[in-house]
Amino acid sequence: MAVNQRNQEAFPSGDAYYQFVRRRRRIGTFFRTLFLAATVLGIVILATLLIDVANDVFGYVAVQNRIDPETLIDQYYKNRMLSMPRLLASEDDVVLAEGIAARPNAIGFFGYAYYQERSETLRALSIDGVAPSAEAAAEGQYLLARPLFIYTSQRILQQRPQVAAFVDFLLNNAAEAAEAVGYFPPGQDDLKESRLLWERATGLTAATSGNLLPADGDIRIAGSSTVQPITQRIAERFQAELPYTGEITIEGGGTLAGFQRLCRAQDIDIANASRAMERPDLTLCRSNRVEPLAFEIGADALTVVVSQQNDFLTNVTREQLRQIFLTAERWSDVDPSWPDAPILRFIPGADSGTLDFFVSQVFGDSLDDLPRADLMAILETNVSGGRLRALNAERPLEERSDEEIYELVIVEVVRPNIVESWSLWESLFHLDEIEAEAASIPNATLEFRSWLTWDFVTSPQSSNPTVAGVLTAILGSLWVTMIAFLVAVPLGVGAAVYLEEFAKGSKLDGLIETNINNLAGVPSIIYGMLGLAVFVRFLGHFTSGIAFGVADPSTANGRTILSAGLTLGLLILPLVIINAREAIRAVPRALREAAYGLGATKWQTVWSHVLPYSISGILTGVILSVSRAFGETAPLIVVGVSTFIVVNPDSPFSKFTTLPAQIYQWTSRPQEEFQRLAAAGILVLLALLLTVNATAIILRNRYSRRY
Amino acid sequence: MQTEISRASSLAPSEVEVEIDLRRKRRWGESLIQFSLWICGILSIFITLGIVVVLLFDALAFFQRPEVTLFEFFTGTVWQPQILKFGIFPLFNATMLTSVIGLSVAVPLGLMIAIYLSEYASPRARGILKPVLEILAGVPTVVFGYFALNFMTPVLRGIFGRDVVEIFNVASAGIVIGILIIPLISSMSEDALNAVPQALREGAYALGATRLETAIKVVLPAAISGIAAAIIVGMSRAVGETMVVAIAAGAGPRNFASWSEALGGLNFLNPFKAAETMTGHMVRISGGDLSYDSLDYDSIFAIGLMLFLITLVLNLISRWIIKRYREEY
Repeated sequence: MAVNQRNQEAFPSGDAYYQFVRRRRRIGTFFRTLFLAATVLGIVILATLLIDVANDVFGYVAVQNRIDPETLIDQYYKNRMLSMPRLLASEDDVVLAEGIAARPNAIGFFGYAYYQERSETLRALSIDGVAPSAEAAAEGQYLLARPLFIYTSQRILQQRPQVAAFVDFLLNNAAEAAEAVGYFPPGQDDLKESRLLWERATGLTAATSGNLLPADGDIRIAGSSTVQPITQRIAERFQAELPYTGEITIEGGGTLAGFQRLCRAQDIDIANASRAMERPDLTLCRSNRVEPLAFEIGADALTVVVSQQNDFLTNVTREQLRQIFLTAERWSDVDPSWPDAPILRFIPGADSGTLDFFVSQVFGDSLDDLPRADLMAILETNVSGGRLRALNAERPLEERSDEEIYELVIVEVVRPNIVESWSLWESLFHLDEIEAEAASIPNATLEFRSWLTWDFVTSPQSSNPTVAGVLTAILGSLWVTMIAFLVAVPLGVGAAVYLEEFAKGSKLDGLIETNINNLAGVPSIIYGMLGLAVFVRFLGHFTSGIAFGVADPSTANGRTILSAGLTLGLLILPLVIINAREAIRAVPRALREAAYGLGATKWQTVWSHVLPYSISGILTGVILSVSRAFGETAPLIVVGVSTFIVVNPDSPFSKFTTLPAQIYQWTSRPQEEFQRLAAAGILVLLALLLTVNATAIILRNRYSRRY
Repeated sequence: MQTEISRASSLAPSEVEVEIDLRRKRRWGESLIQFSLWICGILSIFITLGIVVVLLFDALAFFQRPEVTLFEFFTGTVWQPQILKFGIFPLFNATMLTSVIGLSVAVPLGLMIAIYLSEYASPRARGILKPVLEILAGVPTVVFGYFALNFMTPVLRGIFGRDVVEIFNVASAGIVIGILIIPLISSMSEDALNAVPQALREGAYALGATRLETAIKVVLPAAISGIAAAIIVGMSRAVGETMVVAIAAGAGPRNFASWSEALGGLNFLNPFKAAETMTGHMVRISGGDLSYDSLDYDSIFAIGLMLFLITLVLNLISRWIIKRYREEY
């Protein structure tokens, strides 16, 4: 009554009453929102987890090869070409030209300019039906031609009028200069395009370009030595013919060095280039805020020549060139209609850029295109004898598939090494910073990489993160889970049936029940210790397979799939029992009574009525338990997963690793690449678990419709 | 029926000797099946026995070694097998730290989620929210370990500064353990809340209570035994959790030279430093190829025994609370 009294006194009236009501409502709304927020937070956490993992799976990586595949192939083919019989390699074009001219069975190649001087004694062959000519080179039809460029930047053209004037002069006289030094002139379209580009960059037209002169100030040029003769010639004419008082310096150094000086060091105005800029070059420039401009100024071509005395060759295909310079002994080996005479080869020396160009154009410069025999030869020449023997001992090279040989070349010879990797978020929103950082790593190329690929799923474990995969781990997981399933399901469902249908509530039955509930609460690592002591150590003779004569007693031990499977079987047993009991308990009493009424025995009732009725529930419980086993890590580490294993498990007595254990091992390594591998592994794991659980739901729906 | 019997008897009363045995028939197949099912049931007891025997056996072997004394095990502040120091405190302390941090995340959140789902949410909202929490419960713990190391730690370092928070630290592992047991606590608590009869709520509404007052002052107290049990089960789960701490909490025990150093300035409570828990230590030690009968091998069984006892006691307490304090309606 005292309570009532107090409430009456405190009970507000009038405005105070409405205030009181509003306050209560406000508090109610506040807490309602709070509770909702907590629930939503749960979802946000799940989403964050998934996003975090996905964020780490994709993104840019900076790859550093120990040896560039192009160089590797060039070296390989150059060495093979130079080791052919009846070959003369000389840096001196005169030697080559005279040697070929004198012999009807000879063949060779050198620059087009030089051929033109000797066209009365030599004959140029067309390749794949295309004769070497300026038009064919400009249109890119002739195999052995490459366009030549100069590169500069918009800023340089605008701020340094002498450079703009020089480029203008170069474009006007490119055709003449190219021909003068023996190259093909640029195509008319290319020239028009270059002209347009120049006008847009400088804001001038051909008519007003005279305003740039007279000029002074230096012009600094560097880069490809192939292009150098053109710029050299233009420079001489520029200084002689126009009112220019500055100094022009021209240096070599190669195309790449030219790009780097133009974009990174920024100490030259023009880069000579015998190839167009590729992605890494562009990246380098953009990260230094240089917008490169390319002007095509001609084309360089090689000519494959024979003597005028030669009467059977006018055209060769690329494939025939391969055979002529790499494999064939006699002309008739290449084409039966050709004479049965030895091939005499005249090629430029090993140091010349001409040979490099020929090799990359004719034999290809991508490892994917290489025939198996060549890949094998590359392996044998670049891998040490000891390592080769080790590889052969693992599995003879002859037995390996083409893809495996290719993988070996990559792993053993090219040895790509990821030196930096970035997350998806960084890749999307901080690309310029990534590019700047990548540009500061020598010889690194930046590429977008998905760590999760089909190769990742189908490759075995490897210590090289670029080729490591999870196949071994997935198979291990499947084996272990299957054994756990075979152990836990019959025993678990049996125990559940016993407890629900046969137990009479004795003391022992009560003990079993309490015990099962306690077992479900035992930390999983404790099961690992049970497995370690019992299955691995005590029963090691059986779990290693020694007792069955399938394992070598001197090396085998009990850390096998069988031990792991049994351990996980015991681990999920209580879960299976608890889930199955619940499903069985849901069977209506009436169903049993009806069965008994018809004279069924207890077991008949259980077998023909209770179990079919509850099968969907039991199945769901079983699958949930199995998916628990699939994701379990700690007990398996205690039982003994192998830290590094590349052989797929093939029996219950195999050594093993599982997907979660693999993820754990990757996660505990400090290198970022392994964290990314772990993330990719997690996606695979989650996808597999999702499939398993979805199967559970589908099965449940299908079976539960029956009743 | 009547006529048939009478006819039969009329035809040949002495020839037909129907002997109906109404005694219980012995069905051997049935008994066999029943026996094997009983074996299945009894097997679980053997598992428990196996665990206890295995742990006791090797733990005893550990304590019988001359290098180890029981006294030092419980009072030492250094766990460093290399120099034969076996004081459980650093490992135990880390386990308690991660568990308490985990619970302080999971209990409020789990309870709020349970209250929302059982007292506020519409059936449709429940239908969406519950499965999501179940998915969270189904994510393997190694994934949470990755999450702790690669997400939680950078976040903590971003908030508190890189000098304060070490790469491996107890806080991120603890928080993620909390996340891990949210679904457990929320679903057990929700079950407890749902078990409270509707009449109680309606009584409260009739007295003019708002929904919040009903939930907090009527339903929650009525379900308190189930909720307490949920929290204790969560505690036992947190203590036994392995992968998260193995990955994110640290790869070496946080040893103290002496008790005064440990307690001075509450050093042992610093959540931003690395510390290896009991489970983490067990995983790390057994990760290599452990040889039997070595000191390391025996030591993890001693830790395992302690872990088993802690979780067993916690589980028994939770069951006892449910039995003892359950409100019967």
